[in-house]
Amino acid sequence: MAGLCSVFSVCLCLLGFSAAVFEDQVGKFDWRQQFVGKVQFALFDTHSQASKKLLVATEKNIFASLNSRTGDLFWRHVDKTGPDGHINTLMMHGQDAVVVVGNGRLLRSWETTVGGLNWETVLDTGSFQSAAYIGVQDVVRYVAVLKKSAISLHYLSSGHQKWVENLPESDTVQYQTVYSGGNGQVFVLGVVPNSHIVIVEYNIEDGEIMKQKSVAAPWLSSLQSSCVMVGSGVLLCADPTTKSLYTFPLQSADQTTMTPILLESLGVEVAAGFQPVLISTQPHPARPPLSEFFLQLGPDYHILLQLKDGLVSTLRDFNPSYLVAFATTGEKTVAAVMSPKNETVSSLYCTVINLYSADTGRRLLDTTIIYSMDPNGGKPAKLYIHTFLKKDDSVGYRVLVQTEDLVLTFLQQPGRVVWSREEALADVVTMEMVDLPLTGTQAELEGEFGKKADGLLPMVLKRLSSQFILLQAWMSHLWKLFYDARKPRSHVKNEVTFETLSRDEFNLQKMMVMVTASGKLFGIDSKSGTVLWKQYLENIQPNSVFKLMVQRTTAHFPHPPQCTLLVKDKVGLGSLYVFNPIFGKKSHISVPALPRPILQSLLLPLMDQDYSKVLLLIDDQYKVTAFPSTKNVLQQLQEMASSIFFYLVDSSQGRLSGFRLRKDLSTELIWEVVIPTEVQKIVGVKGKRANEHVHSQGRVMGDRSVLYKYLNPNLLAVVTESTDSHQERSFVGIFLIDGVTGRIVHEAVQRKARRPVHFVHSENWVVYVYWNTKSRRNEFSVLELFEGMELYNSTVFSSLDRPRPPQVLQQSYIFPSPISTLEATLTEKGITSRHLLVGLPSGAIVSLPKMFLDPRRPEVASDQSREENLIPYSPEMPIRTEWFINYNQTVSRVRGIYTAPSGLESTCLVVAYGLDIYQTRVYPSKQFDVLKDDYDYVLISSVLLGLFFATMISKRLAEVKLLNRAWR
Amino acid sequence: MVFKCPGGAAVLISAVLCVFGPCLCGGQQPVLSPELPEPLAGGEVGEGGEAALLTADRFQIEGRAAVYGVRPEIWAPSAVVLVDGEEHVGFIRLDGSFTVNDVPSGSYVVQIASPVYKFEPVRVDITSKGKMRARRVNYIRTSEVLQLPYPLQIRCTGLHSYFIERETWGWSDFLMNPMVLMMVLPLVIILLLPKVINTNDPAMRQEMEQSMNMLNPNPDLPDVSELMTKFFAPPKSHSSSSSSGSGSSKSGGGSQRGHRGGPRRR
Repeated sequence: MAGLCSVFSVCLCLLGFSAAVFEDQVGKFDWRQQFVGKVQFALFDTHSQASKKLLVATEKNIFASLNSRTGDLFWRHVDKTGPDGHINTLMMHGQDAVVVVGNGRLLRSWETTVGGLNWETVLDTGSFQSAAYIGVQDVVRYVAVLKKSAISLHYLSSGHQKWVENLPESDTVQYQTVYSGGNGQVFVLGVVPNSHIVIVEYNIEDGEIMKQKSVAAPWLSSLQSSCVMVGSGVLLCADPTTKSLYTFPLQSADQTTMTPILLESLGVEVAAGFQPVLISTQPHPARPPLSEFFLQLGPDYHILLQLKDGLVSTLRDFNPSYLVAFATTGEKTVAAVMSPKNETVSSLYCTVINLYSADTGRRLLDTTIIYSMDPNGGKPAKLYIHTFLKKDDSVGYRVLVQTEDLVLTFLQQPGRVVWSREEALADVVTMEMVDLPLTGTQAELEGEFGKKADGLLPMVLKRLSSQFILLQAWMSHLWKLFYDARKPRSHVKNEVTFETLSRDEFNLQKMMVMVTASGKLFGIDSKSGTVLWKQYLENIQPNSVFKLMVQRTTAHFPHPPQCTLLVKDKVGLGSLYVFNPIFGKKSHISVPALPRPILQSLLLPLMDQDYSKVLLLIDDQYKVTAFPSTKNVLQQLQEMASSIFFYLVDSSQGRLSGFRLRKDLSTELIWEVVIPTEVQKIVGVKGKRANEHVHSQGRVMGDRSVLYKYLNPNLLAVVTESTDSHQERSFVGIFLIDGVTGRIVHEAVQRKARRPVHFVHSENWVVYVYWNTKSRRNEFSVLELFEGMELYNSTVFSSLDRPRPPQVLQQSYIFPSPISTLEATLTEKGITSRHLLVGLPSGAIVSLPKMFLDPRRPEVASDQSREENLIPYSPEMPIRTEWFINYNQTVSRVRGIYTAPSGLESTCLVVAYGLDIYQTRVYPSKQFDVLKDDYDYVLISSVLLGLFFATMISKRLAEVKLLNRAWR
Repeated sequence: MVFKCPGGAAVLISAVLCVFGPCLCGGQQPVLSPELPEPLAGGEVGEGGEAALLTADRFQIEGRAAVYGVRPEIWAPSAVVLVDGEEHVGFIRLDGSFTVNDVPSGSYVVQIASPVYKFEPVRVDITSKGKMRARRVNYIRTSEVLQLPYPLQIRCTGLHSYFIERETWGWSDFLMNPMVLMMVLPLVIILLLPKVINTNDPAMRQEMEQSMNMLNPNPDLPDVSELMTKFFAPPKSHSSSSSSGSGSSKSGGGSQRGHRGGPRRR
């Protein structure tokens, strides 16, 4: 009976706390953007003229198809991260694309219209060198994969292996290229560095070695970097030292040396430090490559050359030119060259792309595309050409340009941008949400209160005028609403620009400031997902660490809001970048020079005269730099110094140390906790979020007494992991350390547990997830800290004066899925109940009520626990698809979830970022403070009107009746 | 839910209790992780897993997924096979089959992630020699073996239901509301009855008066319900029963008259 009761109560709770999405809310306040990352290979589908497919393979191990008309994704396949999923090469033939994955481990063939997998073959181990289609008599039948010591041939239709052969002398010869001219042989080219080239010829049918010869090339170190195949089986190599080209026909029977051609004989001036790059093209895999090729002589200098009868001739000289590419449509091959617009002044910001006929080098008429670069962006890095035949048989083309800041721009003549994608957003590192500024009128109204009074009459007049302005704004708003309502819904476009950017009445629309790993900053409107500004920071080293801080919010009109980005490179040397988060403009405030590596940065609640919070930077000599460092700030710091504490974590030595600021801005070590690194290492340290509010100090129990929470704002949660990874001995440790005194408040060890560990620290609780090695499942554990039945000091919390340790409750639960990331919701005042947002590898984000993670959940429900709304304990945590806040809009590889409070207490803004970006709102306790969006205005107004008229009519009738009675 | 799984659940709960007890009274003991019975066959497999990582003995997990009535071209491109999260990833071929390559020996949960269709996860155990076994995922009793066929046969168990129905307002809901029924029905009776019955007709009035008399029987006549309770109540004493017996005969006559009056009223 009790069991039934408890099950029933659980069901009730489930019903009450299902924070699901309604179907009509889809896309109303949420959006998703999908990215692919930095493009490595891009191929246009030239199979048919009407095709819109663009295939890309990226550094994020993604193979995707984009719509070349709109830039949207047709489909996308996300492989595993790391070298095992790395895409080595991408080739396309007809409808199918062949991809070599994981250093030549897998060979996959994809059907490109729907994005389905045709077949998949596991190859033998060995480092991948190159792959090529092998055609016989104009039909492509096989694909050859060259490994370090073997070559294998596979059927294109099924992936089955035709033959595999070991390469001769593979321990001395570096085989790097495989080539087939479409006439029944497969050539494998290898090089012994600075000695000779080895050419092995295989028979397609059985893999037998037909011929094997070596050609002396003492100047050659690598085939891939300095040799290409040109024309009908001619190997062409460039030698930077002698400044000459070498040719060697593969099929020749008698020739044993390479023929040198001096570049000077071609009339080409070669500068010192010449690093030649050869670019050739093979339009059809079953036919030999074209005899025309590009030679890059310098960073901005290419020439188009032709090889004819063993002689090289110059077709055209492109100086200056940034990027070149070949493309073929039908029987025509063209070369596209990106060069500065004005040939004399090489202005980087405006470039021109022109099309040249490949076989003659003549410029094709009316083929200019003007490409103007973003002044806040990077230089163009790669050029891909999509050509097609027009109706009059001339060649039309579109260009895909990838820049250094990972913008993919697709252009058509005469320079119209068809679409562009910000692929830097595939790698968001950190983000903040900043309130939007008030509109001019709102700001004026606000400003009125701040000013000193200047007489009664002017104030009244001012008041009236501002009210009038507000009325005007309201009327125009109403008019706009009315105007938009008449138009069909699809036509109403909410164009977001800086002019229309203003805070809405509930502060639901904010500016998302995103920092990406490539060093590009973005300002994105949270309502629509439009990128409002972007700024590319050059000279950012890879693997830098970013920390974004909001120094001044929008609340201090007329001072503009101010964000500071701290960039730390590998060594720890930092630099500050100060900007306005709304407009993205770099601020002109002088930034302190940081000559020493930065260990820690803290944003103090202290404010300068211009309301910017003080940022303290601690370098490796424990010296403190304040920013801004005005007199006022320094004075405030001196006054406050005795109450400013900070901590440092050295995870390599397992040391946590606490410091105090002295009046002269030097520091003093006050505590140190050493976690022995032989046994365990620190995985993560988390404090509480600065903008978090806790509404209630305690919890009301079933018997009406109050259990007070232990709300220590200085508490740090430190999670450690054992160095011993054996499943019986591994453990995960959690320490709760007071950041001021260094006192270990609580310590827990989870035996037989290991990473991945995710944890959230908020209010009086810590939730952490670990992998249970013994039962092989993920488990949630929650720690809650309580002061007890009475508060020690209810007015103020001091870490230095807390005689009693808190009471700690803990409970663990099974979570039936792996976890990618974990975050807690956050609301304005903390009245709303909390939910945990759990990112799953499947791409879903689950909103899990904190109620399920309550260590006071009883084993058996009693009256008191029912009074308290405690759900009886059950070991397994449910996952219901109704709790997926992103329904079917999966977010791949979620790296982090950012939560921000909105102006409404019930509403929390959520941004999940990873490969994709997803923004939505969640209502952990439902929308209790605002009318729901399904509120039936028609019903309530019709009922009110009906009642009103009913009273009017009945009043009239009653009057008539009374009158009649009086006459009787 | 709690009570369906006696073995594991009971142990878990007791572990929690021993945590729960001291903490309430101010204890600060380190918390033990919930102890569970050693997984029998799975345990051996798991130990092999760590060692196999080094020897690079890698295996393939093979299987086939199917959605009833939907061709794989439609659902397979958007689905992906996840093994222990994103540790190993496999793609589904256009015929519905899939292979996950390079998996070291160990125990894994194989799951097909699709934004539209729901698939049951399967636990796959691989021994260090490469023997495969598939079984149902049971996170509570991890050692329980409910064997499934290998190569895996994963069937779609339905669509994901992401949305909850909005409470729509309809007239039928409104009218069928008990509160409304309680309000509306008496109102109808009060308003309609005087209209139906013509009070000015003398015959009708007479009849009504008569029926009113029926409804309000003489005060000395006991009620029918009273009669019934008395009839079924156990006799207390002889004297009281005899006296009540005489009363009952009298009231019986009254009730008979009442019954006779009933049909006439109709």
